[in-house]
Amino acid sequence: MQKKIKTTDETEAVKTKNKKQDDNHTLIVNGHRLKLTNQNKIYWPEEKITKGQVLKFYDSISKYLLPHLKDRPQSLKRNPNGITDKGFYHKDAGDAAPNWVKHIELYSDSAKKDINYIVCNNKATLLYLNNLGCIEINPWNSRVKSLDHPDYLVMDIDPSDNNSFEEVIDTALVIKEILDSAQALAFCKTSGATGLHIYVPMGATYDYDQVRSFAEIIAHLTQEQLPGTTTIERSLSKRNNRIYIDYLQNRRGQTLSSVYSLRPVPGATVSTPLLWKEVKSGLHPSQFTLYNVPGRLDKLGDLFAGVRKEKINLRRALKNLKA
Amino acid sequence: MIINMALFFYRKFKKYLMRAIWTGAIGFGLVNIPVKLYSASDQSDLDLDMLDKKDHAHIKFQRVNEITRKVIPWNNIVKAYKYRGKYIILNDKDFEQASPKRSKFIEITNFILEKEVDSVYFETPYFLEPEKSGMKAYALLREALKKSEKAGIGSFVLRNKEHLCILRPYQNAIVLNRLRFAEELRDPVELTLPKENTKSSEMKMALSLIDQLTTKFDIKKFKDTYRAELLKLIKAKAKGKSIKQPSLKVTHRKTNDLMSQLKASLKKAS
Repeated sequence: MQKKIKTTDETEAVKTKNKKQDDNHTLIVNGHRLKLTNQNKIYWPEEKITKGQVLKFYDSISKYLLPHLKDRPQSLKRNPNGITDKGFYHKDAGDAAPNWVKHIELYSDSAKKDINYIVCNNKATLLYLNNLGCIEINPWNSRVKSLDHPDYLVMDIDPSDNNSFEEVIDTALVIKEILDSAQALAFCKTSGATGLHIYVPMGATYDYDQVRSFAEIIAHLTQEQLPGTTTIERSLSKRNNRIYIDYLQNRRGQTLSSVYSLRPVPGATVSTPLLWKEVKSGLHPSQFTLYNVPGRLDKLGDLFAGVRKEKINLRRALKNLKA
Repeated sequence: MIINMALFFYRKFKKYLMRAIWTGAIGFGLVNIPVKLYSASDQSDLDLDMLDKKDHAHIKFQRVNEITRKVIPWNNIVKAYKYRGKYIILNDKDFEQASPKRSKFIEITNFILEKEVDSVYFETPYFLEPEKSGMKAYALLREALKKSEKAGIGSFVLRNKEHLCILRPYQNAIVLNRLRFAEELRDPVELTLPKENTKSSEMKMALSLIDQLTTKFDIKKFKDTYRAELLKLIKAKAKGKSIKQPSLKVTHRKTNDLMSQLKASLKKAS
């Protein structure tokens, strides 16, 4: 069953007015010609969600998502064959993109060459990425003008197959408690898959090393309080069915699924920001999907706006922790 | 059993027994009054011990080498003075050479009017107690000091250090206060203080205010309330709910190391 999602005024001259769209067609978005392909391809075989619906989803929430993507290099995760396919990562996508797509060339030490990253600054680019098979969106933690200074700290609460979501919630609440004692602002979102993400606004004031150090401290303190259910072991074999508190995503070039990002998992769940009062027993990622998230956003607005606009004083936070 | 009871009572009253810290004689002119010196004051704060938060074991202090972190026994420790950037080591012989003649006398050199000495120079008070043979002379000196409203200035040697002192009557005793040497007192010239600059009307008002608040001095009116409150709390804790064992919120060394490193990094950056 296809749900009709309202498109915004920005999108001009829609070629079809009927419910069933042409498989391939061209849109004019932000004044650019955008060639869309295979819009009827089934991405979710169970739920029968199509590629076209993915674009429709992102179109409808773009006003919430785009501010979070602005000026950030993108690491594309492409699932051109839907969620049953593992998909692949594509960083050097700038070369193949239309000339109106913003990009930045950055030298990679590991690849020993320049990588041309796409920067998603408008809806046309976003839809272009979706058309490439990007179900989820993966922006860098820092922006082009301050590449070595992340705008936020990220804690990725990553459960093993044997952990319940209740345990993930407990972990998030302990992290929140620790951040509260440091008097550091914390924002929570579902990862859209099995975990939770916690973001702390840094305002591009500190470098990755400093932010990662602080995240490491938080991770240690959390693990000490939940030794039975959590771990900070990087190697999978040593985790012993415990939740991995990942602080290592705080590195230049590492990405987490963006806020409002759809995930290529059953249920078509979305990485959704939460009010802390919602983070309690009974919460489950399956409650936030491609179908209901746009409505939730219109009702609650951008709960993650603070992640972009605020910043903590890291020295003071550290001092508060030590006390 | 009797010994146990005796010990019990001894321990109970032990804190009230004074122990003489010095034996000698007051001397001036041809007068010689054998006396014992007792500390006249006791700290009013509660005696707290330091314990490990986790297992309540006593905290011991150790003398450790700053560089090697090894514990150093007393016989391997020397005293030194930093003179012009270099350390000059002093040994027992050096101390002996510089120390004044071992003297068993509180040598009174002169008498002064008590009010001539500013209280700023006063240090710890000590009681003087006469030996049996000095009772009469002690009482006479005490009464004479009272009548003349004068005090004796002298010096004596305590623990290899020479001290300036003042002797004054206090109730039934003669009390000795150590006095600070002039060079031990700092000069308030370093402080930012206003010069005399008052109108006569302001002065009148100030004097009248002081007058209104003037009372007779009664030191007993002042109590150490903090100590009393703390003791009350201790007693309540002892009888009331059992002290909760501290939750195991121990920060491990690794976390502390990380915190120190980050702190240093943030300091460097600013």
